[in-house]
Amino acid sequence: MYSKILIANRGEIAVRIIRACKEMGIESVAVYSQADAEALHVALADESYCIGRAEASDSYLNAERIISAALVSGAQAIHPGYGFLSENKDFAALCRKYGIAFIGPPIETMEKLCDKAAVKRAMADAGLTVIPGTGQLESVEAAKREAEKIGYPVMIKSCLGGGGRGIRLVRTEAELEQAFAAAKAEGTAAFGSCSVYMEKYIHPARHIEVQVLADEYGNVACLGERDCSIQQRKQKLVEESPSPAVTDGQRAELFSRVREAIKKVGYHGAGTLEFLYDGKEFYFMEMNIRLQVEHTVTESLTGIDIVKWQIRIAAGVPLSFAQDDVDLRGSSIECRILARQPGKVEFLHVPGGPFVRFDTYLTVGTKITPYYDPLVGKLIVYASSREEALRKIRAALCELVIDGLPNNIEEQLEIVSSEEFSSGKYDLDFFTGGERT
Amino acid sequence: MTLLKFLKPKNELEPGGRQSVPITPDENEPSKQCPNCRRLVPESSLWANFNCCPHCGWHFRLSARQRIGFVADPNSFSELFADYRSDDPLGFPGYKKKLELSRRVSGEVEAVVCGAARIKEQPCALFVMEPSFMMGSMGTAVGEKITRLIEYAIEKRLPVVGYTVSGGARMQEGLLSLMQMAKTSAAIRKLGEEKLVYITVLTDPTTGGVTASFAMQGDIIIAEPRATIGFAGPRVIEQTTKRKLPAGFQSAEFLLERGFVDLIVPREKQRQVIGTLLKIHGGAHTDG
Repeated sequence: MYSKILIANRGEIAVRIIRACKEMGIESVAVYSQADAEALHVALADESYCIGRAEASDSYLNAERIISAALVSGAQAIHPGYGFLSENKDFAALCRKYGIAFIGPPIETMEKLCDKAAVKRAMADAGLTVIPGTGQLESVEAAKREAEKIGYPVMIKSCLGGGGRGIRLVRTEAELEQAFAAAKAEGTAAFGSCSVYMEKYIHPARHIEVQVLADEYGNVACLGERDCSIQQRKQKLVEESPSPAVTDGQRAELFSRVREAIKKVGYHGAGTLEFLYDGKEFYFMEMNIRLQVEHTVTESLTGIDIVKWQIRIAAGVPLSFAQDDVDLRGSSIECRILARQPGKVEFLHVPGGPFVRFDTYLTVGTKITPYYDPLVGKLIVYASSREEALRKIRAALCELVIDGLPNNIEEQLEIVSSEEFSSGKYDLDFFTGGERT
Repeated sequence: MTLLKFLKPKNELEPGGRQSVPITPDENEPSKQCPNCRRLVPESSLWANFNCCPHCGWHFRLSARQRIGFVADPNSFSELFADYRSDDPLGFPGYKKKLELSRRVSGEVEAVVCGAARIKEQPCALFVMEPSFMMGSMGTAVGEKITRLIEYAIEKRLPVVGYTVSGGARMQEGLLSLMQMAKTSAAIRKLGEEKLVYITVLTDPTTGGVTASFAMQGDIIIAEPRATIGFAGPRVIEQTTKRKLPAGFQSAEFLLERGFVDLIVPREKQRQVIGTLLKIHGGAHTDG
């Protein structure tokens, strides 16, 4: 096992990873920006190195400085957490060059999985259903022909798009011509490319994702699915596992297809496959080749420590359990706690009791700066039934107090108390009420 | 707000799996030839491996500052007596020029760097000799700096850790440099009387007057693997005694077998081992 690991991240996830290291007897090395000199992850780590100014581009995204810190400290591995450099294959290559293990998939797999179109092809070949769509469209006429084949409604998307830009919804053929031109124009303005493609519009739909762990010996386990349909402006707010919309039969079939696909693409490490689910079919969207914010829901449900397994897999330890050993009984719900604006924590009370977990980097006196992600904590509960988990998350949210920092605890309480969420019959339109934004 | 202080859990390292991954060097990367196995080693591999050959484990020489970086806790070293320097007391031909050249080559003003440091959180007084300064030879300034450091340690109730690498006494300072052997020895005796631990780490090569004085006077004597440690060179001994010397004579391993050295510790483990030794021996009696 690696005896020293550098954590190339900050905030709650850095704290989370350092905790795993401490349990495993691994020394931890923190890196921090000038804005984070007094942060909890710095205090918890065995060693720490300042790697630049507050701006992420000068610190947490500065690959050379992070590698230097790893070399100076003698760390044998780097855990990138999520965000920042976690999906950066150049950084992974730099790690390999200097003999530092990158805790994530191998570079070859990263390269394969970075190209979204190629991933879809690979997953389709491996037996997953992908959203019906086209390659690059040359003309409106071609678009019309393809739309007929796929069936309306469809989406026209810019090939280089992202963040919801360069996307147009087309409900009927009459709208197609205008939408085609608009998507092209927006693509050119935003990404400098006017190439577009078409995809079937799956609506209404839920966001279902499957957590997998795979080792380098071909063992793959699905650790259940997560329902992340409560999203506001593409930002996930509440996640739960298992999804109330997926039946046992559907789940078993989905997992067996996912495991086959993972084996076929030769992936290893922790990963998440994201699907759109329209009540009948799971349409593969993309694969996240890193730890995810909401991995904690799965941990609470299964009792499997995903971060520890990431480290073990990166060190070549085989999975010690098989798919049948993964216990998916009960229900787990997570609420993301976000800072609404910068501030300083004057008082903090964290809920407790059985099966209540609060992952945070806040302590009394923590200053929240505007430089980074607004996520300040994750409140997760587990109970033997969804009903009980709902009661527990509501009680726990009421007990969570963060004074001095404007936050979204009350909004979260509204969500988990709402009729729609409680019934389990919700989808991606939770906030928009069926109207596409 | 200051950083919170947490206790450290005493969890053993989880077993299983790899301990490290190999380096992938760049094409055309500068490399050094290993003097032991003769293989070319890319600089990046050396860098990541404590300046040891990844093939045969040969310990390349390190500058004093590199050693401090490896052994002392980050940012814990504060230098003492930094401006002490040898002059040319005997007017030895060419010595002034040699001093000037050595200062340029090594970036140090003398052949030893002294200071207060922490090793695995244990405060100590630390001296590290500099091989690229006239092969770490001991002149008046070297002797004076080490003596003063020991006196500083006595005053502050600190243990002393010393890394030696030296060709011996500096002949350009004649008897004055030989006198440093007695001076440092007297200081070490006083350190012992004060019940403060003195740990020496002998690195390649530790010879001559340094071996005959403060290098071999450690309460605990550690050596780096395969370091040459001795007083006179093997050829001189053979010529004087008219006997053939055994294989491996003057190597750290040879000396360990015969009880001259207590421990052989590879570079990567030194910080941990010294830190533990300091802790066992009571560390410092004050905060230093």
